[in-house]
Amino acid sequence: MKSTSELTDFYYKELYPSLDTLEKTRIRILSQLKWYAGMGSVLFVWIILWLEKSYGFMHPLVMAVTFVFIALASIVYRKLVQGYAKDFKTKIIHPLICAIDPNLLYHADFMISQHLFERSNLFQHSIDRYSGNDYVKGNIDNVPIEFSDIHAEYQTRDSKGNTHWNTLFRGLFIVAEFNKYFKSKTVILPDTAEKTFGSLIGGWIQSKNFSRDDLIRLDDPDFEKQFVVYGNDPIEARYILSHTMMKRILEFQKKISYPLFISFIHNHIHIAVGTKKDLFEPSVLRSLLDYKQAMEYIGTLRYTIGIIEELKLNEKLWSKS
Amino acid sequence: MQIFLIFLAVAGLFIIVMYNSLIAKKNQVENIFAGVDTILKKRFDLIPNLVASVERYMEHEQAILTKVTELRAQAMKPNLSNDQKVALDGKLSAALGSITVAMENYPDLKANENVMHLQRSLNEIEEQISAARRAYNQSVTDLNNAIEMFPTNLIAGWMNLDRKAVFEITAHERQNVNVHQLFQRP
Repeated sequence: MKSTSELTDFYYKELYPSLDTLEKTRIRILSQLKWYAGMGSVLFVWIILWLEKSYGFMHPLVMAVTFVFIALASIVYRKLVQGYAKDFKTKIIHPLICAIDPNLLYHADFMISQHLFERSNLFQHSIDRYSGNDYVKGNIDNVPIEFSDIHAEYQTRDSKGNTHWNTLFRGLFIVAEFNKYFKSKTVILPDTAEKTFGSLIGGWIQSKNFSRDDLIRLDDPDFEKQFVVYGNDPIEARYILSHTMMKRILEFQKKISYPLFISFIHNHIHIAVGTKKDLFEPSVLRSLLDYKQAMEYIGTLRYTIGIIEELKLNEKLWSKS
Repeated sequence: MQIFLIFLAVAGLFIIVMYNSLIAKKNQVENIFAGVDTILKKRFDLIPNLVASVERYMEHEQAILTKVTELRAQAMKPNLSNDQKVALDGKLSAALGSITVAMENYPDLKANENVMHLQRSLNEIEEQISAARRAYNQSVTDLNNAIEMFPTNLIAGWMNLDRKAVFEITAHERQNVNVHQLFQRP
């Protein structure tokens, strides 16, 4: 697999013609946006001031006009950016993925199935709205892997009867075949209780989590500080989480600054990286030639596809080869 | 009088909770030991095959092979206590480890498909045993802590619960594989 520096070279050299065209489009869109924003603001202020004279600021008509303007602004923004985002995915993200491994399939509008997301057992709330994009599937070193951006939400009602959408998970979701056979369920979550309340009280709170299987205490203090593990088979959980595997997961967590959720179910590893944003989306406000921006795309792709190497999922035991 | 009764009820409740948690910990140890036992038996099944396959080649290591066979016979005896099984497992692991090291000196053995297959099966079972030992040790540590810590030690003394022995985790199991070190070998 290509290294990050090789991919950076590829980004700036091979993709330069596409980047250059896209950059011109971006500048054009940005100036159009500025023009629309300027005109819109003037028109908005003029209408509001005119309405204010007759009805006052708090009149429902003023509110309605404000709402219509916000809706119009978002429609105009989406319309202008839509083509650019699509071009960015086909001309930049797709070639980058192919450069990492030519056998990987990419589809900008697909996502990992809801069934796989629910199977992971990482987030136990029921899901009312499920969406995602940037789906990648393929084999890395003979290990099947798939990942995509996911946004899972649930609905709640407040005392006034208004409905609210709450995000259950937003970020990157990865599913890959694991290199050992197992029948049990093992779930690894970020350790918030122990970090907040200390190991004694935090540990006690964790052991009283009735929605999860039994708490499994592992013999790696660093791992225990970062994560909490639940499982229905204490022996298999330790078979999966050998000392080396715990060290590798810790190393992976150090590399990414987002919360990490991992589960081992049905001979597969499920990894959810809580980035809280949609990845691989271009920002009109930032140049594609900007190094930091480029590194965000390259880095994210590299660590996601590199997870197989990172966790050594390609080192299969003889019985699985 | 009422206060005394409330105090009595709370104390009673505490005793029940402590008693039940000790029983749960004791059962957890037994439960996990049953799992350990199953995996140890898998290894016992492999040993005769391994010994039969390597003894033709390993003429100078007959003593280790005999020792392994003897230890296996001892470990398979019925009515062994958990502590005895723990001790025998340690010895058996050490003896099997020396066979693996000795095998390095016999290139013919490494070329033998059957022996290599057995060796790989043994390695996989060793990984499972290592996991089972760690699980057992954690459950024993939980129980031992409860037996020694106040106030559960009072109930544990009354229940005649004794500390249990843990498996010794070998240095090999603790060590993480260092690929760089392997390649730097002369």
